[in-house]
Amino acid sequence: MPADSVRLKTGRSQHTREVALMTRFKQIILSVTLTLLLCGTAFGAGLAERVQEHMLTNGMKLLMVERHTSPTVSAWIRFKVGSVDERSDERGIAHLLEHMLFKGTKTLGTKDYAAEKPLLDRIETTAEALMAEKLLREKADQQKLAVLKQQLADLEAEAGKYVIKEEFAEIYAKNGGVSYNAFTSKDGTTYLISLPSNKLELWAAIESDRMKNAVLREFYTERDVVMEERRRSYDAEPSGRLWETFLATAFVAHPNGQPIIGWMSDIENLTRTKAEKFLHAYYAPNNAIIAIVGDIDPARTIALVERYFADIPPGRTVPPVAVEEPKQAGEKRVEVEGDAEPQVLIGFHKPTLPSPDDYVFDVIDMLMADGRTSRLYQKLVVEKQLATDVGAFSAPGSRYPNLYVISATPRAPHTVQEVEEAVYEEIERFKTEQVSEHDLQKILNRLEYEEFRQMSSNGGLARNLTEYEAIAGTWRYLIEHRQKVASVTPMDVVRVARTYLVRENRTVGFITTKKEVSQ
Amino acid sequence: MTFPPLTFEIPKSQRIQLSNGLTLFVMEDHELPIVSLTAYVNTGSIYEPAEKCGLAGLTGAVMRSGGTTDYPPEKLDADLEFMASAIEASIGSDVGNVSLTTLTKNLDKTLQMFSQVMLHPAFREDRVTLAKNRTIEGLRRQNDNPKAVADRELIKTLYAGHPLGRYPTIETVRNIQREDLVAFHQRYFHPDRTILAVAGDVKTDDLVKKLEALFAGWKKSDEPLPTVAAPAAEVPPQVLFARKEINQSAIRLGHLGIIKDNPDIYAIRVMDYILGGGFTSRLTTEIRSNQGLAYSVYSRFDVGRRFIGTFIAETETKSESTAKAITLMRDIIAGMTRAPVSDQELELAKDSIVNAFIFGFVKPDAVVNQQARLEYYGYPPGFLENYRSNIAKVTKEDVLRVARKYLHPDAMVLSVVGRDTAFDKPLSTFGRVTEIKLDTAGNGALPK
Repeated sequence: MPADSVRLKTGRSQHTREVALMTRFKQIILSVTLTLLLCGTAFGAGLAERVQEHMLTNGMKLLMVERHTSPTVSAWIRFKVGSVDERSDERGIAHLLEHMLFKGTKTLGTKDYAAEKPLLDRIETTAEALMAEKLLREKADQQKLAVLKQQLADLEAEAGKYVIKEEFAEIYAKNGGVSYNAFTSKDGTTYLISLPSNKLELWAAIESDRMKNAVLREFYTERDVVMEERRRSYDAEPSGRLWETFLATAFVAHPNGQPIIGWMSDIENLTRTKAEKFLHAYYAPNNAIIAIVGDIDPARTIALVERYFADIPPGRTVPPVAVEEPKQAGEKRVEVEGDAEPQVLIGFHKPTLPSPDDYVFDVIDMLMADGRTSRLYQKLVVEKQLATDVGAFSAPGSRYPNLYVISATPRAPHTVQEVEEAVYEEIERFKTEQVSEHDLQKILNRLEYEEFRQMSSNGGLARNLTEYEAIAGTWRYLIEHRQKVASVTPMDVVRVARTYLVRENRTVGFITTKKEVSQ
Repeated sequence: MTFPPLTFEIPKSQRIQLSNGLTLFVMEDHELPIVSLTAYVNTGSIYEPAEKCGLAGLTGAVMRSGGTTDYPPEKLDADLEFMASAIEASIGSDVGNVSLTTLTKNLDKTLQMFSQVMLHPAFREDRVTLAKNRTIEGLRRQNDNPKAVADRELIKTLYAGHPLGRYPTIETVRNIQREDLVAFHQRYFHPDRTILAVAGDVKTDDLVKKLEALFAGWKKSDEPLPTVAAPAAEVPPQVLFARKEINQSAIRLGHLGIIKDNPDIYAIRVMDYILGGGFTSRLTTEIRSNQGLAYSVYSRFDVGRRFIGTFIAETETKSESTAKAITLMRDIIAGMTRAPVSDQELELAKDSIVNAFIFGFVKPDAVVNQQARLEYYGYPPGFLENYRSNIAKVTKEDVLRVARKYLHPDAMVLSVVGRDTAFDKPLSTFGRVTEIKLDTAGNGALPK
């Protein structure tokens, strides 16, 4: 169902990930990244006139598009805080917090918050003591551990008596809500729902309560759920494992290299206290962007949002990440052995928007692996048949310099090395041969189509508006994008390929099949 | 909080019969200058011979990738991509789909190419070989993902001996030749077995004229579709296990389910929602929310259209809680057959299904495709119109009755992929275990 909230462009690799989603429907969004979306989501003049903006005095930005195709509405809330904003002892907290924000408030999800609260505090003290003891590892007092574990279980059982399970989800479901979900990326955290349009006030009531009064109950059980999510998406999933290993290799300093979900031992040491600190610092209206698209009356929608959200005080502005990824000094290679057939990822460090070079990568990207006429598809899949699938995309986030990634699935008996060599040959062509006018026109034609296609879904439009408002500072980036791409010249492509697509700037990750384990 | 009333009429598309027998559903929508079209063709892998398993899928793929008599593949690809138009073709178990998307200004040319793909695919030899090679590589990789292995082994067992339980192997794909694709296409692609669903920026009269001209010489079928026997009614309960060195087990439990004409379909939908459907389902509440044993857990009756469907419950949990999760799932499923659901559960399920109904109609292309599918699979007239009132009529007694009739917690097939040395209890706790060896040569899984 919520599969249509995030779209893959055809022919793209599915390696970029956003983690998280509360609901079972779409546990991991395999997403194209911002740059790809940029390729696909520039809107024409139509959108410029149709988006209405409103800024609340507390800094919350509201974007609206009125569309009466059906009596439904999609509402997306994007917080401009993601996993890159975590300190090293907080890794995974943005994502775990996203799960926790489904657990209710002081009035929803509880039978009696006043009675529940002291128990929640005792759970926290006990859980922190347990974690501290565990960190002593072999020196830990086993008896103390056992006592603390039992205490924690007893307290959780006691607190559980006050819980009303999944009350947010129940209210939305009863009222016909679909695509109730959330996801966390390197750059941000998003909460989304689609409702029959007469239920928009319900959304405002629930979401403003969530922003003001969230209670992180059932924290340590939910942390177990996230560990299962990690096993499901990364540990037991060879392509997921390759992806996180590849990123951690490509970035030595910048948090772009750290997994959104956190390493297992990170998750094991997250606490409710840390989550609340993160929550209270950043989950505030000045860091929030709301998009409401569908069967609405904008004037009445502004009044509604003012009524429910205007009294929420602003919080801290998210400080910029200070660390910069040092310039790479030579090729990095990393191997993942697994019970799976080979796959390969090749990444090059590159700047992100608003750098003009980012647009040039959009051009390179569409020629490299987008569609049946793309160069890698033609050469590797059709002509040489070294690979069965190829992809290219920018990842893993867009607020900070990222990677241009090429992915390929080798076809036996061809090896990762053969595939790599063929990819490098095609990259060299970008450095020596000028891209034709015909190819550039093909890209612009594609962008024209995508402008319209993306406007055909309330959810897709809400996603793009919140994403670009958050990343580029204005949703108008969607409109300007096609003009910027149109100004890219063949010499720009040559220059950018020569600058970034070079060996010493490269990270290569690949899966090697592990021989069968004997019993 | 009170809400303004919401009136919703199911949007209607226009149904038109062309002179060659082709059925057309159209919904004009001029908000955006784009058009989408999907053909539903009565064919499927259920009609392919066992020794050429994979033939239908390859036919679908190469109809598009192999070019047409007028457009060699290179030109078809280049012209379409330059216009930002797309044509895609595929054949699944019981339907073939060929679809088109385009800017309105390129509709004529794209539609002409679409008719070529439908009527005159060339199946060029080198593209047949390419598609076979890619399929074979996919088969070599079919055991990479533990969840996919658990799914596949369950389906193979539930539909043992039936085309729905057949999976291609490297050998069956190698058996397939170009002339097989040509013959398969010729046999099944006919206008009287085709429904077109069109939505977007078109003028209906104009479209009909164009389609009449483009599909003028297309001949009706001259032989009936082959009959395919029903799957075996009884599947003995059993435990399937495949070993992989991973820290989380993929668990699937299931048995055969129902077919679409079953009058209990509405009560089953409500039961399904309560047991394993929404985020508030019994399975999710207990296994995920209360016990933290899984990230994803759900169950579903997949209603069969041509043949009986399935009931499948699934989850993934760390190796050490494998038996615990299986036991909980079985108990929760069995619980549905023991006592009526609560009033609150019943109301939530019904309200949710009824109120979310409109989301099936949010885009014009969803509306026409919905209507095309209902006709393609032969749903009775009024099915959609009466759907909400049929759901609203379901009672707690109905839910208990259908749970007892259609859920068989003691007769499920269990399929597990994982590292058995780390399980909390041996799988033999749940019955005699058949170990499946994952064949790295890609020949599918064979019992050891």
